Amino acid sequence: MTATDIPLKKRRKNTRPAWDEEPTWFGKIAKALFLVCYAAAIVIPIWAVVATSFASEDALAKAGGNLLLIPSEVSVKAYQSIFDGGALTRSLLLTIGLTALGTAISMVLTIGAAYGLSRTGSLFHRPLLMLVLFTFLFAPGMYPSYLVVQKLGLLDSYWSLILPMALNAFNLIVLRSFFMNSVPNELIDAAKMDGAGEFRTLFKVVLPMSKAILAVIALFYAVGYWNMYFQAVLYTPGLETQPIQVVLQRMLLSTQGIPGADVGQYQAAEAAPTAALKMAVVVCTIVPIVIMYPFIQKHFTKAIITGAIKG
Amino acid sequence: MAALQTSAPPAAEKPAKRTSLRRRRSIGQRLRHDWPLLLMTLPALAQLAVFFYWPSSWNIIAFMDYKTYRPFWENQFVGVDWFLRLFDNPYFLPALLNTLKYSFANLLFLFPLSIVLALLMHSVVSTKLRSVFQSIVYLPYFFSWVLVVTVFVQVLGSDGLVSNWLLGFGGERLDIMSDPSTFTFLAWLQWAWKDAGWGMIIFLAALASINPSLYEAAAVDGANRWRRMWHITLPGIRPVIVLLLILHIGGILNVGFEQYQLQRDAIGYQTTEVLDTFVYYRSVIGTEGPSFGTAAGLFKGVIGLVLVLVANNVAHRLGEQGIYQKS
Repeated sequence: MTATDIPLKKRRKNTRPAWDEEPTWFGKIAKALFLVCYAAAIVIPIWAVVATSFASEDALAKAGGNLLLIPSEVSVKAYQSIFDGGALTRSLLLTIGLTALGTAISMVLTIGAAYGLSRTGSLFHRPLLMLVLFTFLFAPGMYPSYLVVQKLGLLDSYWSLILPMALNAFNLIVLRSFFMNSVPNELIDAAKMDGAGEFRTLFKVVLPMSKAILAVIALFYAVGYWNMYFQAVLYTPGLETQPIQVVLQRMLLSTQGIPGADVGQYQAAEAAPTAALKMAVVVCTIVPIVIMYPFIQKHFTKAIITGAIKG
Repeated sequence: MAALQTSAPPAAEKPAKRTSLRRRRSIGQRLRHDWPLLLMTLPALAQLAVFFYWPSSWNIIAFMDYKTYRPFWENQFVGVDWFLRLFDNPYFLPALLNTLKYSFANLLFLFPLSIVLALLMHSVVSTKLRSVFQSIVYLPYFFSWVLVVTVFVQVLGSDGLVSNWLLGFGGERLDIMSDPSTFTFLAWLQWAWKDAGWGMIIFLAALASINPSLYEAAAVDGANRWRRMWHITLPGIRPVIVLLLILHIGGILNVGFEQYQLQRDAIGYQTTEVLDTFVYYRSVIGTEGPSFGTAAGLFKGVIGLVLVLVANNVAHRLGEQGIYQKS
């Protein structure tokens, strides 16, 4: 730790501009205290969830309550029962499948429209753009959306968890701005000159130059599908295998059992799933987010600046 | 109609030559030239048509006595009857007031929190520390509401981590997770935990775009750090504050569904009923029928639309950019 502390301190002195006065001691301590407390309010609960998921029955009983910070005895039994091929395994696989397929569909829609609407002079460009932009101002409402899904016969179908939310107009506009402002026009014109059609230009010139922003948008869609709860409550209440967020809600926030589980599957010894199993499911919903997170973080600020602020 | 801001600047950048060339061509010629672009846009437009414009047009049933069992054309128009019934419904006004209460709590306290976080973070000189804090504070934005509420129950619930500590020190259990009287605070706390990092990132981006030489000049002229914040930092991020404020005002009835539905069992429906849960529980799975739920949704949608337009207009009058510009 000390080895990393010293260069940090040095850099601190080096990067404060000459005109900026050194803050008072009180100011420094108050600031540090606030930021550390704020970060702790986020880190400690997440840590406690992870720690509890690895705790054994005995360790949990000794600690009392439903969370602990340091398990006295470590066990992976909770994870074994998640991946035993039962209802929880099915739900996780379903959610992974929905996320993958949904993200793929969303990206096709978003890339196509973002590129198709990126030429200001093209046919119907303005009215079509207006159709997209109007979605920012108005929402059709829950019941009409439900009615349409019903009319399409998609109630209790997994398609109703993908298609209604497949396009996010904000992502479309961000990507379109990127195509227009950050992909040099000369390159597109050169490709045209060489006889490339629009599709070829898109795949060979524009997309390879937009990898970072495409990845960020894909990850945003993926997080959206992974976190989907409301759509499942609204459109697919009758399905046996539910997305993982619904399973989490049933396990932790309501008294109902796990959807799709055989009676007694996770209740062999106890009346309800143990704290470790519950927390292991929570960890399973966090892990994909944490894996995707560093990448979003790295490129996100840039995307937000090009998309939302500069316009 | 005005053009959204996002479309305006690129249109101006485009060389005039090409647009004038295009204008002289006939629709058929342009179609032959632009069909690949239209083809690429088609899937997204189809999605919008089916899942945005089609349901939007179904809002007409708010003015009809619509029953699902008979064909559409056999339903009578009944004017604004459903809206009158909506306002007479004993559960509607409480739901509306709850929505406004939670929304204003967020507007009043979440905004300043994001700005304060951004300012504090911006003043941390070490880039390494800054990126660590930023990563931590921004992480819960990507958590689902189910996850956020679960974590809150585990930590602040009556069997939770904090209760356990309090018991250990001879205190009493917390009951904030099931106490309706403190739910406004709890809802705000959850929202802050989840979303303050998102606001912070946006404000940090705005702060980074302020020219540092302004600070230097002010410092040379003898302005201390508070004066610099008041006269440079805050004016510098004002357009972003106004933009977010407009969006927030437009979404004032839009507090979401999940956070309140998830805590309905624990807190009770009186306190957690907001407009979205009202539509779901009274109409979608309740007994009030499609027209009633549609009327409630349309009420919400139209108010949101009007509020965005009004807030944007006010912003224009105050000399701000807003979300779209007149063209």
